Amino acid sequence: MKPEHTPAQTVVHARDVRMTYGAVDVLHGVDLDIHRGEVFALLGPNGAGKTTTVEILEGFRRRSAGEVSVLGTDPERGDDAWRGRIGLVLQSWRDHRRWRVAELLTHFATYYPDPRDPAELLALVGLTDQAARRVDRLSGGQRRRLDVALGIVGRPQLLFLDEPTTGFDPEARHEFHVLVERLARDEGVTVLLTTHDLVEAERLADRIAMLVGGRIRACGTPAELARRAAAQAEVRWTADDGTSRRERTADPSRLVWELHQQADGPIAGLEVRRPTLEDTYLHMVRREADGTGGYADDGADGADGDTGEGNTDKETQAA
Amino acid sequence: MTNIWRAGLQRGGIELRHLLRNGKELSGHLTNVVVVLLVAAYVSDDVPGTRTPMAHLMLAGFAAYLLFQIGLINLPQTLVTEREEGTLLRLRATPGGIPAYLVAKCLLVVVVAVGTLAVLLATAALLVDGPLPHGPGDWLTLLWVTTLGLLAVVPLGAAVGAVLPNPREALALVMLPTMGLLFISGTVFPITSLPVPVQQVAAVFPLKWMAQGLRSALLPDTARTAEAAGSWELPMVALVLTAWAVLGFLLAVPLLRRAARRESGSHLSARHRKAVQSGALPS
Repeated sequence: MKPEHTPAQTVVHARDVRMTYGAVDVLHGVDLDIHRGEVFALLGPNGAGKTTTVEILEGFRRRSAGEVSVLGTDPERGDDAWRGRIGLVLQSWRDHRRWRVAELLTHFATYYPDPRDPAELLALVGLTDQAARRVDRLSGGQRRRLDVALGIVGRPQLLFLDEPTTGFDPEARHEFHVLVERLARDEGVTVLLTTHDLVEAERLADRIAMLVGGRIRACGTPAELARRAAAQAEVRWTADDGTSRRERTADPSRLVWELHQQADGPIAGLEVRRPTLEDTYLHMVRREADGTGGYADDGADGADGDTGEGNTDKETQAA
Repeated sequence: MTNIWRAGLQRGGIELRHLLRNGKELSGHLTNVVVVLLVAAYVSDDVPGTRTPMAHLMLAGFAAYLLFQIGLINLPQTLVTEREEGTLLRLRATPGGIPAYLVAKCLLVVVVAVGTLAVLLATAALLVDGPLPHGPGDWLTLLWVTTLGLLAVVPLGAAVGAVLPNPREALALVMLPTMGLLFISGTVFPITSLPVPVQQVAAVFPLKWMAQGLRSALLPDTARTAEAAGSWELPMVALVLTAWAVLGFLLAVPLLRRAARRESGSHLSARHRKAVQSGALPS
C-alpha cells in the first residue's frame, strides 16, 4: 500500500500495535494510516479485535506494544484539548434518559471552545421536531442521530462511529449516510467507521481495512479489495442444450465476446457477476478460519489462479 | 477551568430540576420525612433520666440517618445507574466531563441534603413540636456536623458506587448494612440501651457520631446525661467524621477512575460474549 498523502495529513497512524489479555493475543501487530477527510471503514468478524483497536485509538485502552498517534498525539497521553478534537458515537449509549433533547445538546456544547449551534445541529440530524422531547422517548434511530449530534457538537476533526446504523430502517439509514458524507466532504471531518454492514461500508468508505484474527488482512478502496480477493468475475449463461453454465475469468468482457461469436447471436440467461465486497470479506474470513493464513501476503491473485476454486468450495470447507 | 465549573453547575442545576419534576423520586425523599413525623407524633415518653422528649432524640437521629442515606444509598445508586447507562463514559469522552460531573453531583447532594434536613426540621417544629437549635452556638454545631457528616459519607458513597456491580444488586448490598447501622447507632433510641460490644461496633462507623453531633445541636444541654459518655464528645465527633472523610477521598479517587476505565472494558466483554455465542469466534 503506497501512502497517498504526506505524513502531515495523517490523522491516525498506528504501527505494529499489539494487545495481549493475559495469555491471549488479541492484536498481532496492527498497522493503520488514516488520512484527513477520509471515511475509513474497519471491517471484521466479532472478536477479530475491532473494538480493541478502536478503543486504543480513542484512548480508552492501553495497548501492550506498538506506536500510535491520533491527531498527532499518543492517545494514552491525550489531554482535554485532544479529547475536544475527537467525537465518539458508540452503539451502547443509553445515557441521560431524563434530559430533553435540546437541553442535552446545549449542555454538551458548553464543554467545547467552539461548539456548533445546537439548533442548527438539531436541524442537521433531523431532530428539530423532537427538541423538547425526553431522550428516553426517542425511537432507536432518533436516539442514534442524537448520539451523532452529541458526537459532532464540538466540531471534531476525527469522528469514531461504532455500528452507527444498527436497528435503522432503510430511510433513516439513507439519511444517516447522507449526513456522514456531508460531514466528510463539506467539513473535512475524518471518519473511522466500524460496521458489519458491508453495503454501508462500500457506500460510505473511501478506504476499507479488514481486520481478521488480530491482523489487518487487506486495506484499500472497495474496488481494489474486490479485485484483489476474487480477481475472477463469474459469467453465467444457458448453453444450447439448456444446461446452466458458469465460468470464472479475469476478463469477463472477452469471454462474453467469445460466447457471442460462437453463438452468433444473443445468449440466453447471460449474467456477469463482478466480485463484491461481500465476496472479498467472506473469502478473507474463511481463509482465516481454514488456517490458510493471511490474504494480504498472497499478492494480487496468484493463489486463486485455478478457476475451479469458487465460492461454493469455500462454503463447503467452512461448514 | 472556569468552563468546568460552569458546565458542572449547569449540569447540577438541570439534574436538580429533573429531580424536582420527577414525582416518584421526590416522593421517595418526602415519604421518609412523613414516616419520621408520624413516628415522632406517636412517641410520648421522655429520654430516660432526662426531661427531653424521646421524639426529639428520634428526630435528631433520623436527620443524621437521612444524611447518611443520601450519601451511602442514593448516591451509589445514581453512580451505578449512570455508569451502566454510559453517562460516565460519555463524560469521559468529553473534555472536562468527569470534573464537571463531580461538581454537579456535589451540588446535587448538598442541595438535596440541606433541603431534606430543612424540610424535616421545619415540619417537625411546626407539626409535632420538634427540636430546633437554640442560639448561634447550636446553629454552628448543626452546620459543621452536617458538613463534616456529608464529607464523611459522600466520598465513601462514591467509592461504593464505583465498585458495585449493577443497580439491581447495588440496592440490596448497601441497604442491609445501612439498616443495621440505623439500629445499632443510637439513632432511634438511646445507645446506652444496647450492649457495650454493640456500642463499640457502632462507634467505628460515622452514623453514630453524626447522630450524636446533631443531638448536641438540637437537644438541650441537659440531655447529654443520656449519652454513653455523659457528654456530647464533640471533638471525637469531629475526629471520627474527618477520618472517614479522608478515607473516603483516598478510596473514591482511584476507584472512580477505575470505574470510568472499566466502562469501555465491559462493553468489549459483552460483545466478546455475544461473539462466542453466535459462533463467530472460536471459543
